[in-house]
Formats: sequence, structure tokens, C-alpha cells
Amino acid sequence: MRDLAQKWTAVPDWHQAVVELSGLAVRSRAGLHQYLVSGNLDAWSSASGLPTRGAGAFGITGGDRYAVQVARDRVLVVSATPLDIGNGWHEQGFGVTEISAGLHVFEGEGPGLPELIARATPVDPYRASASAAMLFGGVNAIVYRYDAGLRIHVDRSLATYLWSWIGTAGMPVAKS
Amino acid sequence: MQLFPCPFCGPRPETEFHYGAEAGNLRPDGAEVGADRWAGYLYMRANPKGATREIWVHMTCGEFFAMERDTIDHKIGRSLALGENAE
Repeated sequence: MRDLAQKWTAVPDWHQAVVELSGLAVRSRAGLHQYLVSGNLDAWSSASGLPTRGAGAFGITGGDRYAVQVARDRVLVVSATPLDIGNGWHEQGFGVTEISAGLHVFEGEGPGLPELIARATPVDPYRASASAAMLFGGVNAIVYRYDAGLRIHVDRSLATYLWSWIGTAGMPVAKS
Repeated sequence: MQLFPCPFCGPRPETEFHYGAEAGNLRPDGAEVGADRWAGYLYMRANPKGATREIWVHMTCGEFFAMERDTIDHKIGRSLALGENAE
């Protein structure tokens, strides 16, 4: 019987995995609490204390808790600690869904980041765009700056693919 | 790579978008609607040569919107979020 599992790239050990190329280091980031918040974002802001609008494409974030805009009426909240606001619909007009298990997070840093971004997406990293959701390396992802680095959230089922893509696309191009 | 204007995100690569339908092809309402009207809604398209208005969706942010496009040279005009005077 054929072993079809051999057709797929083995899932890396995310605790140890690192892509280190010239001027670029990308690692997996575990332990973050992630929530999708949809609906009335003004009401969400009043309840949570976070801004109504999250960071957009390549927007700058930092700290232990922040929000990233993924649609007109939806933000992804990323937090080092669990939220005090529970999952489910809230009568103020917004819904909260924990998605920590659904999205894998990568962190990149180094002077090679602009070149990686240029290969991953035509979106201009220096032009404001309201939503951080984009096609990155051919798959849907949420991409923004965190301090001096870059954070990429991707569906967990696509994490191994994107990891392979970064390792390949991040390689320097041979110049003749 | 052509850029399309999402009303929410701004210019984004065309690969992030998906065509929906001709703008203004509204679903018939009511039980008295005749077969011709249903057939027109389901099967007949204007397919204009030149300027047209279409419904598109920006798949990464989920925004549905109307966009003006020229079917000859593929030039893109305005885009309007649905509800902003866009049918």
C-alpha cells in the first residue's frame, strides 16, 4: 500500500525551527492568545479599552495586547494573556471567538525583511492599507510589524507550506 | 500585476479579488414573477463592450463592492462599497 504521507513535507518541530538566511531570521511564535472580534467595533473598544481600529497592512504594533484590522467590521486581537471578555455574542453588538489554535504565528527580523516582503506580495509596505489581511506567499495571511520585526498569522494547516516557501523564497538570488 | 481598488483596503493586487456578477442584476422578488423575468435574471447578461459596472469581492478582507471597469482596455474606474449608492 502506498504511503501517501511521504508526499507531504514533514511538519517542523516549531520549538526548534528557524529559517536563517543572509539578513533574515524567521521563527515560529507560540503562546499568543488570538481572538477574532466582529460587529460593532466602537462598542468593542469601549468594553476592551483597545482602539476601535486595529493596525493595517504592515502597520506597527507592540506590547502585550494589540488589535489588527482584518476587515471593515472585524479585528484580530493578539494578547500575551487571556482576555477578560468571554467568547460569544455580547449584547453591546460584538462577537468574540478565540482562534488561538487556528492561526500559526511566524516572526521575522533582519535587514532582509523588505526583500522577503517584495517576493511575498505586491502590496506596498510603505503605503497605508486599512486591512492587514493579504495574500502572502500565495496564501491568505495577516501581516504587520511588531516592534522592529514582522509577524505573520496564517491558517495552521498552511503553516508548513508557508514555512517551506519562506525558506525557499528567502534564499539570495544568484546574480550573474 | 494589476491593482484593483478595494473600498476598504485601497489598491491591492488583482489576485486578491474575485468576480461576482454584473451590477444591477437584482433578484426578482415575489411569487408573481414570470418565467421570462427569472430567465433574464439567471441567464441573460448585457456583456457590454466598453464601460461596465460589476460586483467584485476582495477575498482577504471580505468586502463586496461595485467597480467600474472597461472591458476593452481593462482600465479600472471607481469602486464603491455596497450600500454607498451601489446596486
